[in-house]
Amino acid sequence: MSNKIISMIRKELIDAARDKRSVMAGLYYAVGAPLLMCGMFFLLIGQLTSPEDLNIKIGNAQGAPDLVKFLSSRGISQGDSEDTKDIQLVISDNYAANMAKGLSAEVTVIADASDEKLQISIRRLEKSLQEYSGEMGSLRLIARGIDPRVMQPITLNVEDKATPDSKAGMILGLATMTMIYAVFISGMNLAIDTSAGERERNSLALLLSHPVSTWEIVIAKITAVTIFAMVGLVLTLIVSKFAYAFVPWQELGFAVSVNTSFMVMMLIIGAPVAIMAACLQLFVSFMAKSFKEAQSYITIVLMVPMMLAMAASYNIAPETIQWLPVSGQLQALIEFIKGRELPLTQLAVSSAFTLAIALSLAIGMQKSLKSEKIVFGL
Amino acid sequence: MLHGMYSQLRARVAPALWRKKPLATAFLLGAGLLIPSAQADTSAKTLQSNSNNQQACYVDGLSEQMQCGFILVPENYAKPDGKQIEIHYVVMPAIKPSDKVEALLAIAGGPGQSAIENAQGFDRMLSKVRQTQDVILIDQRGTGQSNQLQCVGDGFDSALAVNESDFDTRVETQKCLDTLDADVTQYGSLNALKDFEAIRQHLGYQKLHLYGVSYGTRMAQLYMRHYPQSLATVTLDGVVPMQQSVLAIGNAIARAFDLLIEDCANNRLCHGQFPQLRSDLEKVDAELTQGPKISQVPDPLTGEMTQLTLTRSKFKGALRMALYSPSTRSLMPHAIHQAAKGNYQPITGLYAMGIDNTGIAMGMHASVVCGEDWQRLTPELRAKTSESYFGKEMLKTFSESCAVWNMPAVDASFSEPIDSAIPTLLLSGELDPATPPSWGELAMEKLSNAKHFIAPYATHGVAYQSCGNDLIAQLVEQGSVAELDAECLNEDIRRNFYLNASTVEAIPSDTTEPKEQTALIK
Repeated sequence: MSNKIISMIRKELIDAARDKRSVMAGLYYAVGAPLLMCGMFFLLIGQLTSPEDLNIKIGNAQGAPDLVKFLSSRGISQGDSEDTKDIQLVISDNYAANMAKGLSAEVTVIADASDEKLQISIRRLEKSLQEYSGEMGSLRLIARGIDPRVMQPITLNVEDKATPDSKAGMILGLATMTMIYAVFISGMNLAIDTSAGERERNSLALLLSHPVSTWEIVIAKITAVTIFAMVGLVLTLIVSKFAYAFVPWQELGFAVSVNTSFMVMMLIIGAPVAIMAACLQLFVSFMAKSFKEAQSYITIVLMVPMMLAMAASYNIAPETIQWLPVSGQLQALIEFIKGRELPLTQLAVSSAFTLAIALSLAIGMQKSLKSEKIVFGL
Repeated sequence: MLHGMYSQLRARVAPALWRKKPLATAFLLGAGLLIPSAQADTSAKTLQSNSNNQQACYVDGLSEQMQCGFILVPENYAKPDGKQIEIHYVVMPAIKPSDKVEALLAIAGGPGQSAIENAQGFDRMLSKVRQTQDVILIDQRGTGQSNQLQCVGDGFDSALAVNESDFDTRVETQKCLDTLDADVTQYGSLNALKDFEAIRQHLGYQKLHLYGVSYGTRMAQLYMRHYPQSLATVTLDGVVPMQQSVLAIGNAIARAFDLLIEDCANNRLCHGQFPQLRSDLEKVDAELTQGPKISQVPDPLTGEMTQLTLTRSKFKGALRMALYSPSTRSLMPHAIHQAAKGNYQPITGLYAMGIDNTGIAMGMHASVVCGEDWQRLTPELRAKTSESYFGKEMLKTFSESCAVWNMPAVDASFSEPIDSAIPTLLLSGELDPATPPSWGELAMEKLSNAKHFIAPYATHGVAYQSCGNDLIAQLVEQGSVAELDAECLNEDIRRNFYLNASTVEAIPSDTTEPKEQTALIK
């Protein structure tokens, strides 16, 4: 790289550093997003997991004292305090009579199954009731001289191929998405400032009047924005590494950890995305007529990579998205963190695609900087 | 009595000294999950392999991927170049990735139970520990997949029809010994302990937390004695103190029978239904002492008519095994009462439960008991043990089988109390028919950093039936017994007794029932 470009990159970075507030605003995302995610998961875990002592309403509890006692040994009991869950267990009036005759005794669970906060607690109650019923059924058979194994003609063995990491797939997808999104947000302010902003301050024309080629200017600006994007990514990764370790994932039965190999992989795969993000943001800003317009355009344009990233992390889109930029890389990262094989072809194609887009945007920018319309914002 | 030569009979007839019944029965009864312990050779199905004999695998009853492996150790440590045997282990990985510095080693009972076959029970009980710690299960030498010493006899068509008094223990033991391809004298606890420590080093853990249940507590105490530097904390559940010969178990069983009868008398419903429980029990016992009752019953499993030779041994044995688990214990008053009325169905059902799901490797069982317990019995202790039915039967059996097994006696120092400052939690169940609370007290003698908790409503295997497992998780997390509090063990978890073959709830007086019935028919 020629000295001219290097000194221009320095100029861009110094420029950026001068306007601390707008630059820091970009980096706030890098630090804040993982922290917010962790806070959200903290709350989510607290709501999703069933409390150790599950208080529910039990109707006609005196009709089945042994069942009530069994449930309380499973941590489920009649509650009258405020933290009683909106789950009702009603024991039928003829429970004891039916039970004594060897028939099925009826109990009813009344709850709103669409309430996500209750689902785990409802399942826990149902499982405990089944356990009780199974135990009594076995003992009833034993009392009649029959081996309870005859009740279970099929033994179901499940061999789950999931690893602790892959069980966390959905959350990892979301986490990876917020990380890769950092490259778009972190450089955004700088991209607008160095293009539309410079033009508004009339320093762009001044720059162009110097003996440097438009290519050199474009490369310097892209590099500066890319550096910012990557700094954002590094920051996000570091903050995530520490913040994610504090979330009690094990209560959900899996682990989420940001380890070094993932961080390295993220930086390598994230680099082309950062370059494309820089080109995209600079291009759009140049096309806009003013600073404000640039801001609104970029917000709209950023929806596209956002959509692609979401599609990849929620696994909702057709197979083709694994060949596209952003989503392809994101999917490869998710596979990597789940401990599966890296889809190298897809990764190569989507990365090449990403760089091709970046290159064509750069060419477009280089061309446009020769047009007066763009330079003076006419 | 015989000594486990006939595998189908081993549960009831052979005095399996004590074992972790919760694993066998609790699962059999729990949640319709009927899990008879698996065949040793199928219990861990291996997947792809990686280096040093370790593979991703699945164990019975758990869908999660585990790490299985084995190390090769000399059968006889005095001959390091001699015969090598495989000692198999399973690592159940911590949910939160651990730093691999510490792990919990869970040791099964028996002696002779496979820890790996009981993985599901350990996993459920230790679920809190597993959130942060790897849990290691080792098939102790002579059990499970580690060169299992099992005797499969022949000569009987049906376990129900056999009359145990026709059995020649000496002959059958000799037959078994001849079929085993092993130097049975090498299968005692001390050699197994060396295997355990070798696996710890192989897996690279610096310190272990121990959980031993039943006979497993002896292994844990030996670990404290021989490798204290490898241990972080120890939990002994259903304690067999080093000072105690397990053959003294007879008195514990008699005590548990008395407690059952007392419990029923103090329970309004049970007493109302079975007011004469003690005399019922004595009546059947006396009848069967005269001679076995022979009848035709449907086989509990196949449903085909088969001969039931109800001997005193079957009757007492079935009841004894029922004492291990709170759920089967709750059926006992009904079973005794029905037997007194001449209905042997419930007893047959209880007896059948133990026929082939106990998973005790009888050869290894004999190696341990004959080497470590039989020979240290003093004449006084022998006389005291003979006072109870079970004690007498066991002494008779082991005097015959140990003569064949010919184990060298362990050193006298083996029976010394453990002197240790390792944080140790001891758990005893008040209703335990194998290891009564007084045994836990005995083990405390020289433990300077230990707490002994007695769970008033638990039987054998306290951690499976109470908040004991939470206490273990707390001990593992804090590494100290200082803050452990027994309060939660006092929670009344007692369930009702079965009042007939169907219910545990009070039977409503059925004066109105016929009317409803006729109304429905109309």
